Amino acid sequence: MNEVRRLLPGKQTSSSPISKERLVERGFDRALDYALALEPEEIISTVTKSGIKGRGGAAFPTGVKWSSVSKAEGSVKYVVMNADESELGTFKDRVLLEEDPLGALVGLVIGAHAVGAKKAYCYIRGEYREVEQTLARAIETLRHGGWVGPHGVEIEIRRGAGAYIAGEETALFNSIEGKRPEPRVKPPFPTTKGLWASPTLIQNVETLANVAILFAHDLHWFTAYGTQDTVGTKLVGLSGHIRRPGVYEVPFGTPMQEILDAPELGGTVSGSGRLGAVLLGGAAGTFLTPQEVKNTVLDYPSLGAIGASIGSGAIMVFDDTVNLEWVVTKLARFFAEESCGQCVPCRIGTKRILEMMETGELWTRTSDLRALGQAMKDASICGLGQTAPVALLSILERPELRHHA
Amino acid sequence: MDVQKSAMETTVAARLNDLVRERGQLLPALWRVMEEYRQLSPELLEAVSLFMDIPYAEVYGVASFYALFENASGNTPMYVCTDVMCALQGAESLKEAAKANLGTKVTVHESACLGQCDYAPAVWSGSHVLRRATADDVTAAVEAITHE
Ligand SMILES: Cc1cc2nc3c(=O)[nH]c(=O)nc-3n(C[C@H](O)[C@H](O)[C@H](O)COP(=O)(O)O)c2cc1C
Ligand code: SF4
Repeated sequence: MNEVRRLLPGKQTSSSPISKERLVERGFDRALDYALALEPEEIISTVTKSGIKGRGGAAFPTGVKWSSVSKAEGSVKYVVMNADESELGTFKDRVLLEEDPLGALVGLVIGAHAVGAKKAYCYIRGEYREVEQTLARAIETLRHGGWVGPHGVEIEIRRGAGAYIAGEETALFNSIEGKRPEPRVKPPFPTTKGLWASPTLIQNVETLANVAILFAHDLHWFTAYGTQDTVGTKLVGLSGHIRRPGVYEVPFGTPMQEILDAPELGGTVSGSGRLGAVLLGGAAGTFLTPQEVKNTVLDYPSLGAIGASIGSGAIMVFDDTVNLEWVVTKLARFFAEESCGQCVPCRIGTKRILEMMETGELWTRTSDLRALGQAMKDASICGLGQTAPVALLSILERPELRHHA
Repeated sequence: MDVQKSAMETTVAARLNDLVRERGQLLPALWRVMEEYRQLSPELLEAVSLFMDIPYAEVYGVASFYALFENASGNTPMYVCTDVMCALQGAESLKEAAKANLGTKVTVHESACLGQCDYAPAVWSGSHVLRRATADDVTAAVEAITHE
């Protein structure tokens, strides 16, 4: 058995996802009562010891972030749940919020207590309308319990309106502030100057759900899964040519091949039945060859050794009939459309890459593409421009992925 | 002065009445108007600008950034995901089906990944998601809107 259910509620869970009974069934009422009685330093110390890393893509140590926000100067602080989830092939936060919305919210309430924030926002992408309603009802459940409201933390939902870049943390702050969602230059970092220039803790949905299950149990329980490098479990989203598309929770260190093949996980490749490639991590992810899938496990060092990362946890599966040039052309169009245009390397670079893809120059202009990619990586303000060429460059590193019709 | 306000300004003001008039409420304000009119025309943005007391250029700059506020026709929007994962599962034919039966009340938009890849191909009608959509599902949804 590779599938674990800790972040996702167990299959036998019977209560409604937004109910008070669910809080009890999942141990979240216990988590809140326990954590809110602790001193902020004690909470932060537990989160730090747990080794939780951010699940929004960058894998930054969560405890370090909480400690920075807690120590930052300022009488007003904010916490934000990032549920913008607009990354290609990524739907794990949606499934998590559908199945267990209280978990991430409990993590948010604990985070607010730990850093001293009285106000929290849940920023959710505008297309997740049904999830937004679930989230609103779950917040009401916490309000009835007294955890949310004037004596706890106020939580407000903010609905995005269709802008991939708004998921970048500083762009997200601008969006909430009623400005154009363009990223800000960092530093200053959100931990010292975030929303309305106040210290702000921003975390991905899945990160916050990890905090909730940590406090519903204890460090010993929490660290039972994972690797030396990364503790815990990860939600992965399997899509494309796979028999059982969906979100699965697996321990860090699970072999990539097993994620695709295990009967309770991906259930093997569909389409032609033969794996062509995997795109791991989203639009700015890395293409893996079938051989690399065989030789790696879902963990940062193992994937890092071949230049890949887990990113958002998206695992997009392509059978051997898919021409990956078509895929990178679509990615290029996406980045060209979603670039906010603030900085030249990204604005022009994404357009130039698109032109080269549309004229079929992936394999003929490799050195130009590499030089352009480097310039974008070095000189773009935010992660979008810095990583837009990553997937394309990963194909150039793997000539065996070239399509031969 | 109040007497000089256009009818549209009055309706927009009524719709936004309980919002605090501060910059941080601009996005919620735009959403409310969008939900009422299914578009954000220059006149509507002007009304938001007056009510919120934010310069028109600023309101326009924000509104025009977001894809979900682009719907000049004011029709019910229908978003067909044509991104990689849905394209692998036949999104193109859904787009064709939607366009073929369009009528005058629906506008089809192509969308980037809707976050429904486990149920590809997906279509979003602005309120709910059609999962593992077929051409017939899309046609039925367009017809339902047409006969609303
Ligand atoms: C272009 C871009 C889009 C992003 N979109 C998201 C998103 O949708 N959800 C998310 O949690 N993080 C997203 N991030 C990462 C956030 O900036 C931020 O690192 C994250 O919310 C921090 O939370 P974590 O430490 O819990 O991962 C995005 C980053 C970039 C550069
Ligand atoms: S890198 Fe691209 S998306 Fe990011 S700020 Fe610059 S132009 Fe905008």
